[in-house]
Order: sequence, then C-alpha cells, then structure tokens
Amino acid sequence: MTKKEAYYITAKELSQAGKEKIPDQLVSGRHLIYSSPATLAFNSPGAQGFGVKRAGLAIPGSVMLLVAPGCCGRNTTILSELGGYSDRFFYLLMDETDIVTGRHLKKIPEAVSRVYDCLTKKPSVVMICITCVDALLGTDMERMCRKASDRVGIPVLPCYMYALTREGRKPPMVHVRQSIYSLLEPRKKKSSSVNILGHFAPLTDDCELYDLLRSVGVKKIREISRCGDYEEYLAMAEANFNLVLNPEARFAAVDLQKRLGIPYIELRRLYQIDKIRNQYALFGGALGLQFDDREWYLAAKKRVEDFYGKFGPITFSIGEGCNAQAFELALALLRYGFKVCEIFADPSDEDFIYIKKIADLSPDTRIYSNLEPTMLYYDLSDEKADITIGKDASYYHPDGASTEWSDDVQPFGYTGLIHFFDTCEKVLHAAGKGGDIS
Amino acid sequence: MKGLRLYIPPFAPDQSGAAAVLCELGGLIVVLDAGGCAGNICGFDEPRWFGSRSAIYSAGLRDMDAILGRDDRLVEKIVKACKEISGSFVAVVGTPVPAVIATDYRAIGRMIRKKTGMPAIMIDSNGTGLYDEGEEKAWLELFKTFAGGEDSGREGKNESEMQSPEEKASGRIGVIGLTPLNLGGDYDLDSLKTVLAQVHFDRPVFYGMGAGLSEVARASHVEKNMVVAPGGLAAARWLKDRFGTPYEFYCPPEILPEWKGIENRMAELTGRKVLVVHQQALANAIRMKIIATTDSPVTVASWFQMDRKEMAEGDIALKEEEDWIRLVDRGGYDAILADPLLKRAVPGYQGLWMDLSHFALSGKGIV
Repeated sequence: MTKKEAYYITAKELSQAGKEKIPDQLVSGRHLIYSSPATLAFNSPGAQGFGVKRAGLAIPGSVMLLVAPGCCGRNTTILSELGGYSDRFFYLLMDETDIVTGRHLKKIPEAVSRVYDCLTKKPSVVMICITCVDALLGTDMERMCRKASDRVGIPVLPCYMYALTREGRKPPMVHVRQSIYSLLEPRKKKSSSVNILGHFAPLTDDCELYDLLRSVGVKKIREISRCGDYEEYLAMAEANFNLVLNPEARFAAVDLQKRLGIPYIELRRLYQIDKIRNQYALFGGALGLQFDDREWYLAAKKRVEDFYGKFGPITFSIGEGCNAQAFELALALLRYGFKVCEIFADPSDEDFIYIKKIADLSPDTRIYSNLEPTMLYYDLSDEKADITIGKDASYYHPDGASTEWSDDVQPFGYTGLIHFFDTCEKVLHAAGKGGDIS
Repeated sequence: MKGLRLYIPPFAPDQSGAAAVLCELGGLIVVLDAGGCAGNICGFDEPRWFGSRSAIYSAGLRDMDAILGRDDRLVEKIVKACKEISGSFVAVVGTPVPAVIATDYRAIGRMIRKKTGMPAIMIDSNGTGLYDEGEEKAWLELFKTFAGGEDSGREGKNESEMQSPEEKASGRIGVIGLTPLNLGGDYDLDSLKTVLAQVHFDRPVFYGMGAGLSEVARASHVEKNMVVAPGGLAAARWLKDRFGTPYEFYCPPEILPEWKGIENRMAELTGRKVLVVHQQALANAIRMKIIATTDSPVTVASWFQMDRKEMAEGDIALKEEEDWIRLVDRGGYDAILADPLLKRAVPGYQGLWMDLSHFALSGKGIV
C-alpha cells in the first residue's frame, strides 16, 4: 500500500501556474474542508480570537441575543469564560418548526425586552446575531431590530453570522465591522481627531503609529476597543479621517464616508521593513506632509540584524493563523536572509505579488492548504523547521520552537516587526536554541 | 418564554452526538454544513479530536449550494475525498442548513454508495436537537448498517461474521452509549472494566471508544449489552429484537474520576432531600449509591431523554431554563449534584451543591 501524503505545491510551481490556474487543492470551495485544530479559526471563527459574536460586542456596553439553533451558540460557553463576556450573551433557541417556518421572528421583540429587563446595568445596544438558517429564510432582520428597538428604547442592531456567505462579496467579518460603526451619527468634524478601524483590540501601546500621528498634530486617536463608554464610541463620528488597518473594514469605512463624510486611508500590516517605510511615506504624501520615522526604522533594522546575528539563517514554518499575512511574512523573512520551508495558506489573487518573489528566492518552499482533505496525512518528519509561526503551523510541529503570534492586541509597523523578532527569540531560547539572551 | 436562555448557554447539539458515536470508527465523517458546525463539533464537543487525527470534514456549503440544492457537487467532493483518504465507510451528519432546504439524505446516501462502493450512513440531525438524539440515530444506523440489519448486505456487512444467539461468547459484554459527551469530560475506562469484571464480564467491548468497526459487525456475539446512556437504548432494543441479546441500562459512577471525591462526601447528604442532574443512566446509578449509603430521598432530573421505564416517581424531564429555575426555587432540595454551569441560573441557591460535570453541558474550553 502506498503511503498517503498531504498535497503541496512548491512556490516555483505555484508561481508558474499563476493566479488563473491555482490548483483545486488550494481553493477551499472545490473540496471538502478538513477539520483539525489547525483549521479551527476557519471552521469555527467564533472559537478563537474575534469571531462575529465577540466582534459584535465591540460597542461599549452592548449585549448580544443569539437567535439560532442551539448548535450555533455552543461555542459561546468559551467566550463566556473569557473576561467580561459571561453576562453579555443571551440566547433565543430555535426548534425544528422555527427553522422551517420562521415563527421565531415573532418572539424577538419580547425576547429583547426580557433580556433588557433582567439586566441591572442597562445595555447601550442589543446586538441580534442570526445565522445560516435566517440567511436561507431571507429574514428581514433590520425590520425585526426596529420593532425590538421600539420596545426597549435603545438601539438594536443585526449581526449576521452567515457562514454560508464566507467567500461572498460581504462575508460575516466584513458585515460585522459595518454593523458596529453603523450607530455613529453625523457630528462636527475635528481636524485633530482620527479613528483607527479594522481590529477589535488595540494596537500595542508602543506602536509608532500613535507617535507619528501625534507628531503631525493629531490629538485624539480613537479605536473602538479603547473607547471607555458609549459616549466615547459615538465621538468617533467627529474624526477628520479613518485609518483602515484591515481590508475587512473597508466596507465600514466606505459606509462612514458616505454617511458621515469621513474619508479613509488604508494601510497594511507589513513585515518587510522597506515596505513599511514606503507605506509611511505614501501615507504622509496623501496627507501632504512627511513623517519622520527614522528612529523607529533604525530600531527595527537593528532588531532584524541582531536576531540574524544571534541565530543565523534559521528555517521558519509559517501558517495563516497569526497576526500576519502568511505570504508577505514569508517573503520578508526570506529577504532578511532566513529560510522558509513551508507556508500553510490558501493563496488569494493578491498574494501572487509575494508568491512570485518567494519563488525567486526560495523556489522549493512548500505551500500547503490547511483545509485540504489530505492534510490528514501531513508528516512532520518531511520538514524540519527551527521555528513555527501561527496556531496552524504550531499544530503540525508540536515539538519545536513555536509562537502563535496571534494575540488580540495587534502588532503593526516597525514596532510590530520588533515585537515579532523579540517573540521569536524568546521561544527559540525556551526551546534551547542558540544565541544570548538579551 | 420557550427557547429563551438568559443564563445557561446551549447544550451539545444532535450533530455533536452523532459525530461522537462515529469519531473513532475509521470512517470519513462529513458534516453537512458551511463550516461553523464542524468547527463547533470538533473544537468544543469532541475532546478526542485534539489528541488524534480524525477524518472529520466539513462539506463547506456556500449559499448557492444551499439555494440551488447542488447535491451533485457535494457527492463529487465526497467521491474525490474517498479516493484520497483511507476510510471504511462514509457518514454524513446533518446540520440546520440541510434541514432548512429539506435535503434528501436517502438520495445522497444512494449516490455515495453507488459512486464510491463504500457503505454510507446518513444522520439527519438538524442542530436544534440535543446530543442524545444524534447519538441515538447514529448508534441505531451504525448497528443496522454493519451488524446485520435489513440493508446490511448492500452495506457491505460480512454475513459470515453473523452468529446465532447460541454462539454468543460468555463473559463478553457490549457497552453502548460511551461518548465523552455522556460523561464529565474525563473518564476512566479501567474502572468500568473492573466494575464489569466484578459481575463476571471480563471481556467488555466499548463500542465507539476503543472497539472498531469489526466489533460492531460482531455485535451478535456478545452475551449481553450494557447501555450507559439513553442515546444507546434504541440500538440495544434493536439488537435485542434482532439477535435476542439482553441489555441492562446502567452507567457505573466510578467511570467519573470525580466520583471518588463525591463518594467521600456522601455522608453530607444524609437527611437531605437530594436532586441529581445528569444523563439518566448515570443519574439513576448515582441515586442508587446515595440511597444505599444515606437513605435520603433522591430525585433525578435530566435535560436529555428520560426513558419512562427507567424513571422513578417524581423524576423530572427539564426542557426550558425557566423549568430549572422553578425546580430549584420551589423543589425544596437541600442538596444538588449537577454540572457547575447550571449554577449560573440559580445564584441564590443556599443548599449544598456538589459539582457533577457533564461534558454535554459545560463542554471544554479551548482558548
């Protein structure tokens, strides 16, 4: 009997195939989806990090009523165990008749009212989270929310956890970002006020982006996760412009531009130091000024050089379950002189910019899809990585140095790069691998 | 209000129960969902999944698959996977999406069998039922398919392995209903072996937990079946009708590692009116132990199936959160043995509370 093997393609082969001929194995819609701890973020987005449910509670003082079959709320017990969530989730469970007839909809205003009444500290907003069943029933949840809002006298917003539309034009995580900013009403603009959109947790406190913005006269930088109360959240409407740090927030930014006249600028999280610098230059250019980022640039450059000096051209295994875009991070590491033996990620069209360059620098780098059925047979003895990045890559290499690099608090820019290598150094030392502890 | 939960999160659903029964049997398990259900089954309701590689897959349904009913694409994906993955059968586990669009499971089953040549089990769970309902369907389908049911010839059953009741092996006992969901997360199979050996069954067959598909095919060989959870009762009755195999409904509390701690505190229950909340087989057994030790009055309540024949007078089937709150408020119980999750709804309870974990309630945290 021949040994079963996990499917992979080399960077060179994928680059040659091009985005028009991505193999079926790397396109999630063309095969069954393998379910392993490495795919949990895909298969159950609410179970780790910020899924729709947790994200839907980003508005200060909000609570959520999940209207769904029991199975959809099952993993919420985990969220409830996380700090601050145990009293914020409520459920209206649908039965077999509900999922066919939609009769549960009549109960929603009463259920919202009961939730409101049972809370000693009254919520600022009630989010109603609905799932695949209502997507198929074609429920007009906006209308249901208006009815519920009339009943309790506070805003009630829909939150769509439609897994069926995951690869559609407006996936759930895009929709939820739009939802949570939808309560902002037009206000007088303040030229010294800026919002950062995209994440549900803040950037690291020492991120240079804050200092750079302040250096050009920005006095108030708001992120929804740092808003202490509902009033401060509403004050986000006074921003002069929005900075979008995650493409999934683009829809929300466009909506705010239309409704409130707040323009937006999109920045990417990058790990290639020259691209970070270039991005800040372009950002400054768009604002008609120049950022002085030299201090942070030099510090990050030194950090990369120090790390390389300590560990040499070590080999990385990179997954997509981390605070990085896997192909961009892989390219950055290759450009710094390290090796990348494998990448676990489904490539998108946009990734081919990186894949072509990866193919030039490291043609034999293997690209696997976490979701592909044959990953059941992934054999870690085939690859020897010194360190793995991401929850998924760590699953495949359980015994080596690894970092999930997936904290809620977000790395960005030069400081993100510095923290990345700090973390790598820490886990390499913990695994007994070279270099001096600084 | 029916279905409203203000304090207690939902319990393990039917699809998780079905997957739990099939998890270790070497089949290719396809959860007919968009992705979230498979993740919840594995990431929350199946502790064995973290330590082993199981062939559990999501169908990865998208809106147009559901709207247009593209079953052919689903079957195509399954056939493709069967060529790449070693498996002895295919199991399709339903979720709310196929329930809403009225998926024809029988037709899909026929297509899978025809195109793969493999046995196929179809479980029409819909995510609104509880885990024991899914387990019941899965156990029944499993034995019917592989142990000599009406369709067994077509399903690839080995006829030569079937035996008449006279050929049953002495000392061999089949244990039906063992899944982590029925217990407390942790479980001690050795203690179960010891308990069974004490009553002269020294060769237990733990279906779905250690015993593979070949043992299911030889289900007619066992002298007796022990049903350790209500979800296994229908299958045990079917086996009794089919092979004349008797069964007993009992789950020894010793299988719970925490039982020792509760046993040590048993004297505290003396003179108290006690309420035990768990799945019926285990709760009944705990009641017997408490009565034997303390002679205290004990009521059993369960959120899951309660077999009428196994109920004592006053036992309670719980349905809604309000039922539970009312029961604790007005029942006059001085002591409660129940999963700690249930405490959330009755914070003012003043009596003695002993934690009795039930994985189908509190599950397992993974973050």
